[in-house]
Amino acid sequence: MNKFWIVFGHEYLRHVKRKRFIFALISIPLFMAFIMGVSILAAVISEDRRPVGYIDQSGLFLDARPIPPTRSGLFQNKVQILAFEDETAARNALDAGEIQAYYIIQPDYLSTGSVKIIAKESVDSEVMQDFSEFLLTNLLKNADPKIRARVLEGPELILRPMDSDKKFNSSNPFGFIVVIFSGVIFMLAVNTSGGYLLQAVVEEKENRTMEVVLTSLSTDQFMAGKIFGNLSVGLTQLLFWLIMGGIAALIALRTFPDLNELGIDFSFFGLMALTFLPAFVMIAALMTMVGATATESREAQQIAGLFSLPIVIPFWFIAAIMENPNNPLSIGFSLFPFTAPLTLPLRSMLTNLPFWQIGLSIGLLTAAAAAAIWLASRAFRLGMLRYGKKLSLAEIFRPQS
Amino acid sequence: MSTIQVNQISKRFGTQQAVDQVSFEVEPGEIFGLLGPNGAGKTTTIRIILDIFKPDSGEVEILGGKMTEEKKNRIGYLPEERGLYQDISLETCLNYLARLKGLKPTDAAERVEQMMKRFDLYDHRKKKVKELSKGMQQKAQLITTLVHDPQLIIIDEPFSALDPVNTQMVKDLLREERDKGKTIVMCTHQMHQVEELCDRLVLINRGKVMLYGKLNDIRRQYSGQEVIVHPLNELPANLPGVQRVERENSGYVLHLADNLTPQLLLKNLVEQGVALERFEVALPTLDEIFIQVVTARGELE
Repeated sequence: MNKFWIVFGHEYLRHVKRKRFIFALISIPLFMAFIMGVSILAAVISEDRRPVGYIDQSGLFLDARPIPPTRSGLFQNKVQILAFEDETAARNALDAGEIQAYYIIQPDYLSTGSVKIIAKESVDSEVMQDFSEFLLTNLLKNADPKIRARVLEGPELILRPMDSDKKFNSSNPFGFIVVIFSGVIFMLAVNTSGGYLLQAVVEEKENRTMEVVLTSLSTDQFMAGKIFGNLSVGLTQLLFWLIMGGIAALIALRTFPDLNELGIDFSFFGLMALTFLPAFVMIAALMTMVGATATESREAQQIAGLFSLPIVIPFWFIAAIMENPNNPLSIGFSLFPFTAPLTLPLRSMLTNLPFWQIGLSIGLLTAAAAAAIWLASRAFRLGMLRYGKKLSLAEIFRPQS
Repeated sequence: MSTIQVNQISKRFGTQQAVDQVSFEVEPGEIFGLLGPNGAGKTTTIRIILDIFKPDSGEVEILGGKMTEEKKNRIGYLPEERGLYQDISLETCLNYLARLKGLKPTDAAERVEQMMKRFDLYDHRKKKVKELSKGMQQKAQLITTLVHDPQLIIIDEPFSALDPVNTQMVKDLLREERDKGKTIVMCTHQMHQVEELCDRLVLINRGKVMLYGKLNDIRRQYSGQEVIVHPLNELPANLPGVQRVERENSGYVLHLADNLTPQLLLKNLVEQGVALERFEVALPTLDEIFIQVVTARGELE
C-alpha cells in the first residue's frame, strides 16, 4: 500500500477515534437542538391561549364574522374573539380570567381608527394582529374576495434587476441565517482541522520523529498524508454537522411551513462549496506552515489564530454589506481570499453577482490555496530539522539548495 | 561493491562550512565508525548520505546507487535527535513506524510483538509512550531502527544518555547484527566507545576528514616508540637504545630511540633473562590520536 495512505489513515483515525473528538462532534448539534427545543418550549408555555373580547360602540361590527381559525404550522390556532354587550360584562369576564383582554371599538372608529384595549398584562403581538385582521375582514366583508385577500396580505415586493431574471425576495431573513450558520460551522471546522494539522506538524518537531519519518518515505507523501488526513477530520465534522443541520431544517419546515415559501437558490450552495473548499485548504496549509516554523505548539496556536480571524471580518460589516452589496467594500471583501468565503455567498443572496467577480474571486482563492501549500511544504522541509530554532519568513522565500 | 560511497561531498550553512570535501567508503558487513568531536559535521554527513539534505557538491551512493524510496525500506536509522510519538500507545506507535518501513500490517504486528518481547517491553505495549521511562523509550527507538530487518543500520550517538547496562546491550546487539552480515555505521564523539567495536573508521573535524582507514592500522601509524613492560622482577639498570623509563602502575613505559624497534628490545630482554609478565607495544587511544592530529594541524581550539 502506498505510504500516503498509511500516514492518512494514522492521522485520520487517531483523531476520529478519540473521545474528545466524538464529544465535540455530537455536542454542537445537541447544544443547538437543546437551544431550539428550549425556545420552542418557552414560546408554547408563554403563549396565552385565552380569548379576547370586544365591545362595539361604532355599530360597524354588529354581525361580525369570526376570522378563519387556523394558521399553518405549530402555533396554528388564532385567538378566539368574543363579542360583549357592554363594558361591565367584559370587565367581569376579564376579572374572572375568562378572557385575556378586551377591545373597545370607539364610536368614531371609522374616521379615527380609534380602539382601546383593556388588559391586565401586555398582550402578544399575534393577538393584536389577529384582532386587526378581524376588524379588516369584517370591514371588507362586502368587497371582492380577491381584493380583500390582497389588502389583508399587503404587497409582496420582489426586486428584479434589469439585466437578469434573478429574483430577490424582500422578506427573506432565512437566507441570512443560512449564511451566518454556514459561516460559523465553516469556522469551527477550519479551526478543528487547522488546529489538528498544526498540532500534527509541531508534534513531529516536539517529538523529534522527523528524521525517522523522512528516511522512511518522501516529504511529499508524508505532507500530503498529514494534510489530507487532518483535513478529512474537519470534513467529517463539517459533513456530520451539515447532515444534522439538514435534519433540523426538515424539522423546522414541518413546524413552520411558511418557511417553504422562502426559497433559497441552489446556486448559493454551489457558490459556498466553491469558496469554502479552497479557503479550507488555504487556511489549513497556512497553519501547517506556522506549525513548521514555530518551536512549540502553544506559540504556534497563538499565531495560527491570526489566520482564522480575517474569515469573520465580513460579519462585523454585515450591515454595510447588506445595505450596499455592490459598493467597493463589499466587492473588495469578495475578492480578498480571506473574506471571500463569507462575503461572496452573502452577496449572491442580495444582488446579481457579475460573472467576472465570481470567477476572479474563486480564481484568487484557488491561487492563494496553492501558494499556501507551496509555502507550507517549503517551510516544512526547511523548518522540521531545526529543533528549538525558529524559521524566519525570509528563509522560506530564499532559494534553496 | 561498497555499501556506502561518499565522494567529495561539501555542504555550507550560511557562513559555516559544515562538511568540506569529505570522502569515504563503507564496506558490506563491517561496523564503520564515523567519528569526530561535537559540531564536526558528522550528523550533516549522515543526513546527506540519507538524502535528508542535498550536498552543495559531491556525490553519495548508497546500496549501489542513488537513494530511492524502495531503498528507505532497507535502511534502519536511529538519529541523534530521536523520539517517538508520545501521545499514542507504544504498540500503535511501533506498528505505525514499522509500516512506514514497508512492512505489511500483519508482518509489522508480528515483528513488533517479537521485538517487544525481546526488549522486555511487551507488558507495557498498551501504555502511552510518554508514560514509559527514558530507558524503555530508548529500547523502543532501537526497535523502530531494527524492526524491518534492515540491510544497512546507521546509528547516530548510540550511547548518549544510556546507562552502563543499556550501553552493553546496544553493543551486544550491534555485534549480533554484524554477525548476521548487516552493515553498521556508528556515528559518535565518544571515541573510546567505538574502539572495541569498529573495524574501520573515518575521523572528521571541522567538516574535514582527519583520519580514515582500519582502526588497527591507524593506531599503529600513530603509535610512538613506546613499549609497556611488566617484568616479574626489576628491570636491568642499563638497556641500550632505551631513552627514558617511566613507572606506571605495576609496570614500566619504555621510550625507545628511533633505531630500536620493539622487536629488538624484546629480543634483548629475553637474552638478558628478564622474566616478563607482559610486553606490549603501546598503541595510542583514538582520543590521543585525535588530539595529536589536530594539534599537528594547528586546529585545536
